[in-house]
Amino acid sequence: MLKGKGFEQVYDMKGGIRAWKGAKAWGPVELNMDMISGEESAAGMIGIAYGMEEGLARFYGRAVERTRDPEAAGLLKRLAAFEEKHKQALVELYDEILPENGGEEGLRANADYHRVEGGFHLDDFLKENERAFASPGECLQLAMMVEAQALDLYLRFTDKVTDEKAQKVLFKTAEEEKGHLAALGELLERIVGG
Amino acid sequence: MISIKHLFGHVDSLPPEEVKAFMAGHEAGTYTFLDVRQPGEYEKGHIPGARLIPLPELEGRTGELRRDQPLFVY
Repeated sequence: MLKGKGFEQVYDMKGGIRAWKGAKAWGPVELNMDMISGEESAAGMIGIAYGMEEGLARFYGRAVERTRDPEAAGLLKRLAAFEEKHKQALVELYDEILPENGGEEGLRANADYHRVEGGFHLDDFLKENERAFASPGECLQLAMMVEAQALDLYLRFTDKVTDEKAQKVLFKTAEEEKGHLAALGELLERIVGG
Repeated sequence: MISIKHLFGHVDSLPPEEVKAFMAGHEAGTYTFLDVRQPGEYEKGHIPGARLIPLPELEGRTGELRRDQPLFVY
């Protein structure tokens, strides 16, 4: 028995993954883990996250040009605006850690915009998901998938990153992604459900 | 095959709704999801951030799990 070895709170989820109605991520454990070495500092991790938020904003911006549905276009612009808010949250976190580093300018200078949240290459991701821009509902489902993948990636990063402060950044960023997912879920309910 | 209950002793069962509510009310990093299925099953869909340790390997890999926080197994 392992309970006597410190496992005091163990719960079996009834029904397993089939019964789970929350967000799901896909892919192997190693998916997009090549993005980090494991030696990143807290500031470095914020920079990586910022780059992916910017990449996603650009993805939505380019998606607007591809959709034929005006309502979908409007929603994609709204999603891009969400990413601007998410970036601002990262800037604030960055300023807390390195107030002398110039905030957003410091982040922009080093960020890699070629990946979207979840770690996917922007151009490839755009090609693979062009059909998802046909309606507002489909756009939102895609957005929720991205946020689930982002949440998953940040948490998997915590297994590789050794710096304690960087780990705290990752958990905080993951918590933000949970909030994003919840907000998108509510939006989907209003648009599709209503 | 060794069962989860055999490894951990007393294990409470929770419906997924309660697990989801716990997740919503607690910060990331304060609990662990443990996926004891095979890699192929994990790849098709898993709870974001779940740690994969297939059941046949679990007894030898419990050192990878934090003991000081709730563990949700599926």
